[in-house]
Amino acid sequence: MRKRAVPAVLGNTTLATFDVCIIGSGAGGGTAAHVLTQAGKNVLVIEAGPNPFPGLDDPDVVPMPLHSNDELKYSVRGYIDQIGALEPRTWRQRATDAAQVRASVNTLPKTVGGAFTHADCKTPRFNAVDFRLKSAVEELIAATPGLAVPGFGGDAGSANFADWPFSYDDLEPFYVEAERLYGVQGTDDNPFASPRSAPYPMPPGVAMYLGVVLTRGALATSFLGSPLHPHTYPAAIASRPTDDGRPACVDCGLCSGFGCPSNAKGSPAVTSLRRALLSGRCQLRHDAQVVRLVHTGSHVGAVEYIDADGALQTATADAFMLAASPIESARLCLLSEGLGNGSGQVGRNLMFHLQSNVNGFLPERVHGQRGRAVTHGITDFRGVEPGGDALRVVPMPDGPRVYLGGICEFSSSQGLPITEDGGVYAVDLPGPFGRRRGIGLKNALRDGALGQHLIGLIMQAEDAPQLGNMMDLDPTVRDVFDRPVPRVTYASHAFERASRVFYVPFMRDVVTNAGASQAFVNPTDGALGDPPSSSHVLGTLRMGTDPATSVVDAGGRFHDVDNLWACDGSVFPTSSGYNPTLTIIAVALRIAHGIAGTAPIL
Amino acid sequence: MIRLRIPRAPTSPPSALPAELRWDAPPTSVALLLTRREVLKAASVVAAAMSLPLVRTEQAWARARGRYFTARERITLGALCDRVFPADHDPGATALGVVKYVEGLLTALGVRHPPIFTGGPFSGRTPFADAARGVPGRKHPRNAFKRFPALTPRQELAWRLELYGTAEVPELAAFEAQFGPPKVGLRDIYRAGLQKVDDVAQATAGAPYAKLSTTDQDTVFGLLDAGAFAPDPRRNGATFIDIVIRHTLEGCFAAPEYGGNFRTRGWTMLGLEGDSQPLGYSIFDTTTGAYVERADHPMSTPNPDELGPGGTIVPRPLTADGLAVQTSIATLASIIPVDTV
Repeated sequence: MRKRAVPAVLGNTTLATFDVCIIGSGAGGGTAAHVLTQAGKNVLVIEAGPNPFPGLDDPDVVPMPLHSNDELKYSVRGYIDQIGALEPRTWRQRATDAAQVRASVNTLPKTVGGAFTHADCKTPRFNAVDFRLKSAVEELIAATPGLAVPGFGGDAGSANFADWPFSYDDLEPFYVEAERLYGVQGTDDNPFASPRSAPYPMPPGVAMYLGVVLTRGALATSFLGSPLHPHTYPAAIASRPTDDGRPACVDCGLCSGFGCPSNAKGSPAVTSLRRALLSGRCQLRHDAQVVRLVHTGSHVGAVEYIDADGALQTATADAFMLAASPIESARLCLLSEGLGNGSGQVGRNLMFHLQSNVNGFLPERVHGQRGRAVTHGITDFRGVEPGGDALRVVPMPDGPRVYLGGICEFSSSQGLPITEDGGVYAVDLPGPFGRRRGIGLKNALRDGALGQHLIGLIMQAEDAPQLGNMMDLDPTVRDVFDRPVPRVTYASHAFERASRVFYVPFMRDVVTNAGASQAFVNPTDGALGDPPSSSHVLGTLRMGTDPATSVVDAGGRFHDVDNLWACDGSVFPTSSGYNPTLTIIAVALRIAHGIAGTAPIL
Repeated sequence: MIRLRIPRAPTSPPSALPAELRWDAPPTSVALLLTRREVLKAASVVAAAMSLPLVRTEQAWARARGRYFTARERITLGALCDRVFPADHDPGATALGVVKYVEGLLTALGVRHPPIFTGGPFSGRTPFADAARGVPGRKHPRNAFKRFPALTPRQELAWRLELYGTAEVPELAAFEAQFGPPKVGLRDIYRAGLQKVDDVAQATAGAPYAKLSTTDQDTVFGLLDAGAFAPDPRRNGATFIDIVIRHTLEGCFAAPEYGGNFRTRGWTMLGLEGDSQPLGYSIFDTTTGAYVERADHPMSTPNPDELGPGGTIVPRPLTADGLAVQTSIATLASIIPVDTV
């Protein structure tokens, strides 16, 4: 490989010894780096991806990133994506199937700042009941004759639900800290949100037209005897200039799937990680792919990584934190002779959200290229009572039921002509259904038939944890670093199928009542024989108190390794039905403060 | 972002392409065709053979100038792209610079700043906002898009594989051997593909593709798209025609710094504003502490050209083509029962 001109290191380059080495610079790792450096620890952050923020360690100005409003760069050429041609994954629905090689199986962006960089940074909290979901459902079944919930009661063996080892009240101060650290906009207009001890740091920004239209549709839709409750969508996007030097969002539109050119999005790079770098106690090495943890079985001494030039390097520290995303964090354990896997649970309970996507066509142009991708939504289909402390029981003809769906985002196309319009007409739509070429293709493009007219709801429905849904190492396929690739085994559960079937007709009503025509339900990935594509990847290193059924303890430390922690979405026992990043950040804050012996900075 | 999920076609349409021109034709049948066809008299075969060194010279000349296509390839590709995205009252593919875009991609690794990813953050096409007054300002940022950042070694490796193929990336030989047939690079795909386009045009319509009438070009395009090219197992089953169509769309609508989208006319004809940073669509007025929307491009209200008297909405009607694709998508989606997960 060609030699690099720029050394792939930022921050305090003179640091030689480290208290903590964090693998991954995203929402989990960036957050932990911030807390630990504030507490006086010397921290080494190792990031596998490149750095689109030259000058991130400059104390005087927030760096102008290499991000730009460029569809080709992100949606076609994958500027911040893991490179599927060099690091493929394999996938199968069941353990008895042969695994297929795919360029992407739930692959998250690989870049300084992690996957939050590509998100439009939606940051709802989980509900109070989410942290004791198993107990809550079991108590309800005991108290409610005829109540059946897939994956619970007599069907408990088909899923693997567990309570979290701490409560919403335990986590609440860390939610507050997370919202301030990342700069969350929002307001208290969602009756299903759980109580908060501090207001949102910033008010909501300007509404998108599609948010206005679908809000109208939701208010005109009756659900269980009352209209739905549309609300503004909390997001870690600055609606005011921030005290860390980031500007207010200008609603440029290329938000979901794109890096932010102005730093208004609260990417970990320009929030938590930058603070860590400016502390003088943090060093960031990027383009550095960690390949193995060097350990004694109960103690980690070093990590081995391949640097930008392809050379194998070693880094030592007193403690180590995995924050490489659930599939990659668990993979590192398995690549290191099964480190921390005394329970046999490493890689199991892999969860995504079952995303139900209901769309229709608005007669007028919706101009989704103006705004933050999502400004409004509804939480009525999460399946909880107002306040989010209790489950909602729905009387159905065959008995009482509980349907734990998820928050619904009001969304539209973002007006991307290559991927959202032309590519669909010319290549994705089969034969006579599409417009392969010619004036027909040109007309459909000028209409913006999809890019300017498609609106809808996306439900982020809770995904049941299952022992058999897992990542392990593929026995044959290896990546460009000559390591076995992750093999994902995943099939949906009746739990999420039931909530999809129950809520989708109401989602269709909202779309129709918003004035859209031809409301339709998108098939799921699984129905099309495709690997799941959700970017909400959770589980694999379950957090719990019992070393026999969980991998890490309530503080995020591995049960059987004395100086190894996990602080990303891998520790989640359940997936809830909300965009997970704010909770990943809050949990990372709780874990890092636990290591440092400090309290949340409020 | 909405990711549509579209069921795949149950069958492909019957091909009208003569069996001997199909990608999976037995090798001998092409020779049979050559002997049958009157247009391919012995003299022209000899002439073609004689011109081979000339083609090589022209390829070398193109290389020396940092280009890839020969003059004839460029003309053939332009004609092909113009059938994908033809000119009418708005410019077509070649006028928008699609050929330049494709050549820029194929030669991207030969230059100091490879045009793979634009730089950031701004192109300079919109000004900074005047935050103190809540209006667009006068000052434009410099164009950072055209300063393509250097690729990281891993990005460079991946793009070398994409453009040059497995055979030209020896350090990936062992890795690539896992995936069956070697990956053919885009450069070779274009060279062989454009040759075949002209071969098929010659064999079925009697002249190179670019020399045909647009009607005949459309007919030959249909043949080319119905079995002339093998689906590439290393490219999700894409054929050369799929690649040309995708690249045509990219050349029409990607940022102009990549070589196409001449004077952003691709965006203009779609009614798109293009990259909008740093101005964006809402301006935070630091004096009043409130957001101001742009009257010409509103964010929370309908477009001005679709507003009727009294604030009623008068949608601009879609063409039959636009309505047809909408109906297709809704129809195909409903084939699959909702409870299938």
